[in-house]
Amino acid sequence: MFFLLIVLMVNACKPKNEASNIVFEEEILKKVDNGHLGHKNLSDYGFFTGFLVDLVPAQNVHPYELNTPLFSDYAQKKRFIYLPESSFIEYHPTEVFDFPVGTVLIKNFYYDDVQLINQKGRIIETRLLIKKASEWLALPYIWNNEQTDAILEITGGVQEISLLDKKPIHYQIPNMGQCKGCHQRSGTLQPIGPTARQLNRNNLNDGEDSINQLRRLSRLGLLNISEKEVFPKLSVWNDPKTGSLDERARAYLEMNCAHCHRKEGPAKNSGLYLMSSSNSRHALGIMKAPVAAGSGSGQLAYDIIPGQPEASILLYRMNSTEPAVMMPELGRKMIHKEGIALIRSWITSLE
Amino acid sequence: MKVQKQFNNLDVVIKYGFLMVIMGTLLGCENIPSHDPYRNYKSIEKALLSKLMLAKDSTVIQLEKGHFIFKSSLILDNKKNITLRGRGMDKTVLSFKIQENGAEGLKITNSENIILEDFTIEDAVGDNIKVTDTKGITFRRIKSAWTGEISEKNGAYALYPVICENVLIEACEVLGASDAGIYVGQSKNVIIRNNKVYWNVAGIESENSENVSIYNNQAYNNTGGILVFDLPGLTRYGRKIKVYDNEVYDNNLFNFAPAGNIVGAVPSGTGIMVLATREVEIYNNKLENNNTIEVATVSYALIDAMNDQKSQENKDPGSSAQIFEEGANMDLEYDPYPGAIYIHDNTYGEVSWLPNLSNDFGKLFLWKFGFDRPQIIWDGMVPENYLLSNGTLNPDYKICIQEVGVKTAILDVANDFEGLVIDPASFNCET
Repeated sequence: MFFLLIVLMVNACKPKNEASNIVFEEEILKKVDNGHLGHKNLSDYGFFTGFLVDLVPAQNVHPYELNTPLFSDYAQKKRFIYLPESSFIEYHPTEVFDFPVGTVLIKNFYYDDVQLINQKGRIIETRLLIKKASEWLALPYIWNNEQTDAILEITGGVQEISLLDKKPIHYQIPNMGQCKGCHQRSGTLQPIGPTARQLNRNNLNDGEDSINQLRRLSRLGLLNISEKEVFPKLSVWNDPKTGSLDERARAYLEMNCAHCHRKEGPAKNSGLYLMSSSNSRHALGIMKAPVAAGSGSGQLAYDIIPGQPEASILLYRMNSTEPAVMMPELGRKMIHKEGIALIRSWITSLE
Repeated sequence: MKVQKQFNNLDVVIKYGFLMVIMGTLLGCENIPSHDPYRNYKSIEKALLSKLMLAKDSTVIQLEKGHFIFKSSLILDNKKNITLRGRGMDKTVLSFKIQENGAEGLKITNSENIILEDFTIEDAVGDNIKVTDTKGITFRRIKSAWTGEISEKNGAYALYPVICENVLIEACEVLGASDAGIYVGQSKNVIIRNNKVYWNVAGIESENSENVSIYNNQAYNNTGGILVFDLPGLTRYGRKIKVYDNEVYDNNLFNFAPAGNIVGAVPSGTGIMVLATREVEIYNNKLENNNTIEVATVSYALIDAMNDQKSQENKDPGSSAQIFEEGANMDLEYDPYPGAIYIHDNTYGEVSWLPNLSNDFGKLFLWKFGFDRPQIIWDGMVPENYLLSNGTLNPDYKICIQEVGVKTAILDVANDFEGLVIDPASFNCET
């Protein structure tokens, strides 16, 4: 009897051996016919004139910028909107605008010469959001090494990226399903960026002729709005001239978290709502216990403890790159140091 | 657990002599369960990903025999009448052992009438299968597991429908979840039957769900067997839960949930626990050798305070009373007290003479009841309107227990156990 007990206990202490044997046989895919989804090549759409890599917009294609963009592993983004001939955008003061059928939002992700180690700057990927009759369609295009074109790849892809002063990463180009993981409101695919508050700024690329992007669209007859309309504005997360610490932190959380963490978003089951319009302290995470965080809790009890950023789950998860812990769940392989610093100061300032 | 059973048969004298030795050894090196199946992986990631994304409504996606390994979550979104079918548990294996992207293994969203059957899914960094915003989801003969020794690094939920309607989970085998094995959250019309759940923190958990039937399951060797919880600040509240014809035994596994999670507060040795939920009926279950408590009914205030205490061992977030007030008061609709609970006609095994001393409940029971502890307790925390103006008990908060030969108790936790009552008459209500 006791002998048996001893044997049981000794066995329990035995170190485990990893017997698993992984063989990779990535199947060579027959070219999946995606013809019904979109063009095979980015160049087929005719969004740009001249060399594609220069991204010179063709007619009906207009550049735009956001006040506070989503962090994507320090990639820079060039955004354009294509509007079908003689169509216009319906204005909305708080939500994403209502775009005409046939609209395409074009987002190019690139690193410049300064960012990349021993490499020339290059465009990594272009993501299209295409407005169909009822829903939006998200399509990822991956640029070739020659930088002559980008090819539709619905299953996404991986690229090795080495940035100055950062550890090399496997940059993740999302698959179609992952696109909708973020671009979702009440179950349907939606753009995130083009709201009045985000577009209410001058486009820096316009140089001296720079005027407010919303006014410009309106004067071109592309945005249905009166000249007298006063536009709401989202703070620029890293520009103290544009808002208080609270406003900038809330703008950052809105753009980086609230596409899921809002009442109509895929993370609504968490009860954590991070739109900057959210005004319940509990829903914002202040002294809110996690609901289904798993190891994401980091042994901590509350999403936000005022004055204690290091004891707050929110900061812990932003400050991780482990897939089980990190937030957002997708779209980055690096930690956004500057974003963390902002949220840390914000939590410190809370009472 | 087996150790404990064999122990019971020994002569009393030997018991005392060796007790200390055994306890010491167990503390020094707990017998950690380990699941180590043979695997020989190959990758079909891109092929399966495209199949799922391009699937036309009303189709069957057949998965072949083999062990398939994935780096990213598999996603099925906005589909109707899709069946994802393997060649059997342990024959078709979807493994996420090398996962780099996303937290879930298989993620199903915004869909209708989805059937998952006959495969094994394992080792996702977060949840093995998460289904949200879906009407009609069936899990049938799915084995959902984490391999290797159980650990707080295992994913949270093995089968996780949340914000769904018409959920059926049957004939599944679920192990290794560091939170709940089968976890249904914020859902409506749910059947959980004929499943085998073990080596999880919570075996089966119904949280903020309505019209839930949990029957004919075997829940054993978990920290807690079956949990029925209601938490504040979520999209819906839980009610109308039936737990019957289950075998709930040997749920004495150490609690390996990461701190900060609500199940971290569930004491090792819990059979069935009801937290702050209404209209719960628990009957015809076989409960045996859950060595802290067979059935517990508690309020949110208690579990929140306990959880907070556990987290405070690492950090110091401030006064817990204040924190609870802030949390629960934010959700004005939420009622932190259980009520309309009916526990009857269950069978109970013999009570082991020594409770599980790894948790505060066990210690408390030893202190308050000696070697004769109750099988069913209620924490006794009540709202202000517990008694109506005419002095009678508010039926919303009734707790009825009709069992034969069972010791019950109201703990009166709020007043340091001053009003502790054994076999209270109030449990014996006519319903």
